[in-house]
Amino acid sequence: MNAHRGKIVALAIATAVAAATLVVAADGRSGPSPSELDPSAFAWVRPSALPPGWTAQRLPNSPARLPTPSGWHPSRGDAGTRTTIVKGPDGRIAGYLNATPRQGEESTASWDSFRVDHNRDEGERRVRLLASATGLRFRSGSGSCVLDSYVTTSGHRYREVACIVAGRTETTVVVGAAPPRGWDAKAPAIERAIDSFTT
Amino acid sequence: MLTFQIKRLAAVFAIVGLIGGGATSVALAGHHRHHHHHHSGIPQHNGGDHDADNNGGPSDGDGNI
Repeated sequence: MNAHRGKIVALAIATAVAAATLVVAADGRSGPSPSELDPSAFAWVRPSALPPGWTAQRLPNSPARLPTPSGWHPSRGDAGTRTTIVKGPDGRIAGYLNATPRQGEESTASWDSFRVDHNRDEGERRVRLLASATGLRFRSGSGSCVLDSYVTTSGHRYREVACIVAGRTETTVVVGAAPPRGWDAKAPAIERAIDSFTT
Repeated sequence: MLTFQIKRLAAVFAIVGLIGGGATSVALAGHHRHHHHHHSGIPQHNGGDHDADNNGGPSDGDGNI
């Protein structure tokens, strides 16, 4: 009888294990969190002071400050935001930084899907998420970042790093972008700006 | 003895249910993704707002269009 009872228990345990395995398999995830894609792409994110010679533009009604690299200049943007750019010899934007207070449903938890969806909603084409990470540490809080590329409806291609940073009182989005061909040249300034960004 | 075995079996299946149910809850939580869709149709080329991407520039950080 004990052997019979043992078989029943063993069968039940095997059923439990199989059920749990099926559920996990159906979930389709066996690797890192779906909110992260090649998070090592953000190994450069390290809180750092504003580099010498740089300035910072304070956002209206917000403690956030957008770093402005040497040689970059403030540019027009939406009310309540700050933008700084540098142009290339052809007069086109070669580097772009923007800080915007959180306005909608964007959050650190859903940042990767939000940003990609948002870019598509704005009419950008060929939007490609290249990397994303959460739980990144910034000077004044923690946040999430994406690296993606897209083509605007006016036919301009850009690669961007877009981060949402939750500070003590404010949550702000900081974006750095450059044409893909000029990315390697502008990425150091963009990354340094994001590293020294505060909100 | 038969009653005891039935109770034992019921307890085991209850555990199975808890494991399965718990795993399902985790799976559902993992699938909770943000889906954000705006379709305001603001024309580009500076037709609707002054965002940089409507003027040949990159997309800014706004959460709206």
